[in-house]
Amino acid sequence: MAVTHDVSPRLDELVVTAQRIHQAIESVIEGKGDVVRLTLTVLLAEGHLLIEDVPGVGKTMLAKALARSIDCPVRRIQFTPDLLPSDITGVSAYNQQTREFEFKPGPVFANIVVGDEINRASPKTQSALLECMEERQVTVDGSTYVLEGPFMVIATQNPIEMEGTYPLPEAQRDRFTARIAMGYPEAGAELEMLDVHGAASPLDKLEPVATTAEVRALIDAVRAVYVSQPVKKYAVDLVTATRTSPDLRLGASPRSTLQLVRAARAHAALSGRDYVIPDDLQELSVPVLAHRLLPSVEAQGQRRMPEQVVAELVRRVPVPEAPAK
Amino acid sequence: MRLTAAAGVATGAVAIALYPLFSGGAWFWSSLGVILVVTGAGLLAGRYTMPNWLVPPLQLLAVLIFLTAAFAREQAWGVLVPTVSSVRALGGLLATGFADIQRYAAPVPPNPGIVLLTCGGVGLIAIVVDLLAVRMRRAALAGLPLLTLFTVPAAVIADPINWLAFIIAAAGYLGLLAADGRERISHWGRAVLVRRAPSFVAPRPSDAEAGTLRMSGKRIGFAAVALAVLVPALLPALEPDPLFGFGVGNGRGRGGNSISVSNPMVSMRGLLSLPENSTVLSYTSSDGLSRYLRTYALDIFDGEQWTMSDPHGRPEDRTSEGPLPAPPGLAPATPVTRATTTIAVSEDVRGMSFLPLPYPAGRVDIEGDWRSDRDTLMVFSARETAEGMTYRVTTAEPSPTAEALRAAGPPPASVGERYLRLPPGLPREVRALARRVTKDDAGPYEKAIQLQEFFTKEGGFTYSLATRGHTGSALADFLLRSRTGYCEQFAASMAVLARVLGIPARVAIGYTGGTNVSGVWQVRAHDSHAWPELYFEGTGWLRFEPTPAGSAGQGTASVPVYTRPQVTTDGSDGPDSTPDTGSSGTDTPRDPSARSRDDRTLQRDLTGVPVAVDEGVPVAAWIGLGLLAVLLVALVPAALRWELRARRRRSLSRGPSGAPGGPSGVPGGPSAPAPAGAAEVRAGRGAPEGAVSAAWAELDDALCDYGMGRLPSESPRALAGRLAGQHGFDADEAAALTRIATLVERMMFARTPGETGPLREDLRLVRRALAARVTRGRRIRAVLLPPSTLLRMRRAGGRLLEATERLEGARLRLTARLDGLTGGRLTGRV
Repeated sequence: MAVTHDVSPRLDELVVTAQRIHQAIESVIEGKGDVVRLTLTVLLAEGHLLIEDVPGVGKTMLAKALARSIDCPVRRIQFTPDLLPSDITGVSAYNQQTREFEFKPGPVFANIVVGDEINRASPKTQSALLECMEERQVTVDGSTYVLEGPFMVIATQNPIEMEGTYPLPEAQRDRFTARIAMGYPEAGAELEMLDVHGAASPLDKLEPVATTAEVRALIDAVRAVYVSQPVKKYAVDLVTATRTSPDLRLGASPRSTLQLVRAARAHAALSGRDYVIPDDLQELSVPVLAHRLLPSVEAQGQRRMPEQVVAELVRRVPVPEAPAK
Repeated sequence: MRLTAAAGVATGAVAIALYPLFSGGAWFWSSLGVILVVTGAGLLAGRYTMPNWLVPPLQLLAVLIFLTAAFAREQAWGVLVPTVSSVRALGGLLATGFADIQRYAAPVPPNPGIVLLTCGGVGLIAIVVDLLAVRMRRAALAGLPLLTLFTVPAAVIADPINWLAFIIAAAGYLGLLAADGRERISHWGRAVLVRRAPSFVAPRPSDAEAGTLRMSGKRIGFAAVALAVLVPALLPALEPDPLFGFGVGNGRGRGGNSISVSNPMVSMRGLLSLPENSTVLSYTSSDGLSRYLRTYALDIFDGEQWTMSDPHGRPEDRTSEGPLPAPPGLAPATPVTRATTTIAVSEDVRGMSFLPLPYPAGRVDIEGDWRSDRDTLMVFSARETAEGMTYRVTTAEPSPTAEALRAAGPPPASVGERYLRLPPGLPREVRALARRVTKDDAGPYEKAIQLQEFFTKEGGFTYSLATRGHTGSALADFLLRSRTGYCEQFAASMAVLARVLGIPARVAIGYTGGTNVSGVWQVRAHDSHAWPELYFEGTGWLRFEPTPAGSAGQGTASVPVYTRPQVTTDGSDGPDSTPDTGSSGTDTPRDPSARSRDDRTLQRDLTGVPVAVDEGVPVAAWIGLGLLAVLLVALVPAALRWELRARRRRSLSRGPSGAPGGPSGVPGGPSAPAPAGAAEVRAGRGAPEGAVSAAWAELDDALCDYGMGRLPSESPRALAGRLAGQHGFDADEAAALTRIATLVERMMFARTPGETGPLREDLRLVRRALAARVTRGRRIRAVLLPPSTLLRMRRAGGRLLEATERLEGARLRLTARLDGLTGGRLTGRV
């Protein structure tokens, strides 16, 4: 960023805390600053993150590192084809002593839930998790249990071409605020990883650097970030462009507009700004929008991925102009 | 069908340009009738698919029938069918028309002959246009006959053609071209079916494709006509365009068999034979005497006719600048008679741009920009006309003694060179005649007297207006054979003979002294006159009078006193002469001591005399002025840009150094939204926003000017980053740029606009940094032809075009709806 000197004191605390978490994660995952930053953005935007990449690039490590650097309950669910919905949400079991049904909370009752290889589970189980994500509550046998904030699901998935996967339906992909790909580490980072990981897992040494209350305060601060009318208009323009683009069969939903602006708020706050600028939206467009879109047949024929299409739209949609005086 | 109508409309539109040739509008309605007849015949021929070769004869026949019905109804059989006698009548009328055209100067009266001639001509043009455009499908070529028609007024009338007439004519021709193009396009192919059309009744062929083409065609045509009208108006150098400047000034062109209506000679004959003898002007003189009033001095004899070389009216020779230059050849020792003449020109006179003045005029008191020609002392104006004006002239007429005239020396070379020139083809008999009628041993003065005697007495000449022609052969004919003519022949012949004899001579055109009516000299149209002026060294130019006077001649002509034989003997030339109270009936002046007392004159102004006035500015300067004008126009964008920049700079200095607000604006924890406080802060600082906007807009324009540009999707921050990286800005420059970008960003997107720094200095720094990174050519262009302003102008133009397009679209939709209505009704009935 060329311009970062406009730190508002109000956000100082936020920036410092976020920076602490950032450093903590980076001590585990080397050379993935952008990914870490985006992860934090999604956390502060009260969203959920989908990490998609081939096995072994550190998807789970990232999720765990984030979970561990915040002092909060973390649960991890390994999705397998035989996983049942109740394995996620919890079950009501009959208590012989009290002669009543008693709710045994599932792993979803935590602040950060790591869903590993989410696309290996059956659609029915997938949808159980996704409902929790959207509603932030669990309903079992007619009783509703509210999930405490912050609540963030970090799901990892293997690329859909891999064996034994059920592709996530687009309606469910839409629930995730952003999708990122880890990518292979650079040569230097990988070398360093060998040194560090050689002796013991650095994850074990990771100490929590923030409390749940702190994270909640951060989220509140993000909510107060100012979004001006022109920026809102620009967000709508961007999303509308995906709906009218001939390269896309399915455009982005209104929900994605909401999430885009929310993520932009968090992004601005992480930069120490108390207002959103078009650059925030531009930077977040691909991770926030691309996974919800379906390319048209022509674009598929030309091997143009939705990521490319979105990047092109961002280059084309004009930013708000200064009012002429 | 459409094309035929368009051809007719085009001919009609061009024919409108003929209007200045006629007085009254009768000719127009008849011409319109002819055009309608031709067009109607063409339409009928198209309706019955006649072969193309048959159409022109058919149209000719139609025109003949129309002309018969209009002009020879009595002789025709059943009004319409031409008979031998009706054709004869038409022929007779045509001959009269030709004669009338030769007689009258434009605007000509609407005599039946002239109107017939006009109608016939317009009809022929209409037929040729129809033939070319409709039958041969060469619409562009049809411009040639139209141009022929259009050049008739341009060639005859001195005034520039009215721009409105030009636009109408051009629009007519463009309409013809458009109709042709439309017809062609519709042949390329047509929409097979318009599915959404409510019915198939009127599947308009190819309207969709033709629409856009037509639109651009209209734009081009409109722009071309506008340019043609506006550019000459904007460029001063083109204004006195010789193309439109036919007339006396350029009259030395050979007549050939074309009719030079505005030639002074021809106009004069027309005036002399006018049925009504209207008053042209009236005057009083301080000594009560009448004087010949000269309008033109013709100095060139080309073997056929006398014409005038271009007079020069220098700015310093304005009548308002003082007395006219001294009369050429008049020695200070020669006694002169001074007099003042007050002349009032009638209101009814038209286009009098040369003043009738007694010769030699000293001082002329008249309003307006009138200038004198140094050599001939003609006074004229390129802008004013004299109708209704009253002006005063002082004259100092030479009163030479016969001895002085006899003793006159040879003329100076400059005079001889100009006024002795004769065409090489002058008949030998004419030269012989000149020597025969004068005595060989006589001096120039005696020879001049003998020539005058020859014309007035010994030669047996007869005065008659009926003669025609002033051509070279007519001159020989007049001198050697018929010896019948009027003042023009007399004056021209005497001037020629004088030149043969070595006496510098020229022909003056003007008016005789006129008739005295209760103390005021009335000069009428019939007093128009021509006479020779001969040059004698020491005295200058002297009037002679070879034309017979009185009832058998030019009524009010008079022989100057110094030319009378008696005078030559007794040598008295007393300036005191008794005013002639007589009427026009006097034969010759009886009183030998009268100087110019019997001059009665009268002439009427001649129509259109456009003269290229020497404005005292050389051609090069005109070209320079034109270039300057072009340059000024070219600099308009630069000026606009400069003005815009200045305005922005002003608003920069108006709202500088904002309050310390900015970062410390909102206190408290991260969860304190405090929008109210922000609003206050914002309200407290309104001015900086204008400054920031101005700075940003200026930066934007500067980028455009330097060809760096900005993507529409580039935010201020991204732009700053890109520029600084791409062009290698140093720390200061990058910081300045970043400050501007941040301010803009805050202004647009943040709650509080933030602190306005040294905006002006930052902007200057950035500008300089940008300028340093482009080529010199770019920098110069940015100043002289700033692309940002050009872009803005183009956008404005685009908006204008869009507006017209919308109008056009609305019109088309309306027609379509109307068509739909009619179509619907038709199908309903079916």
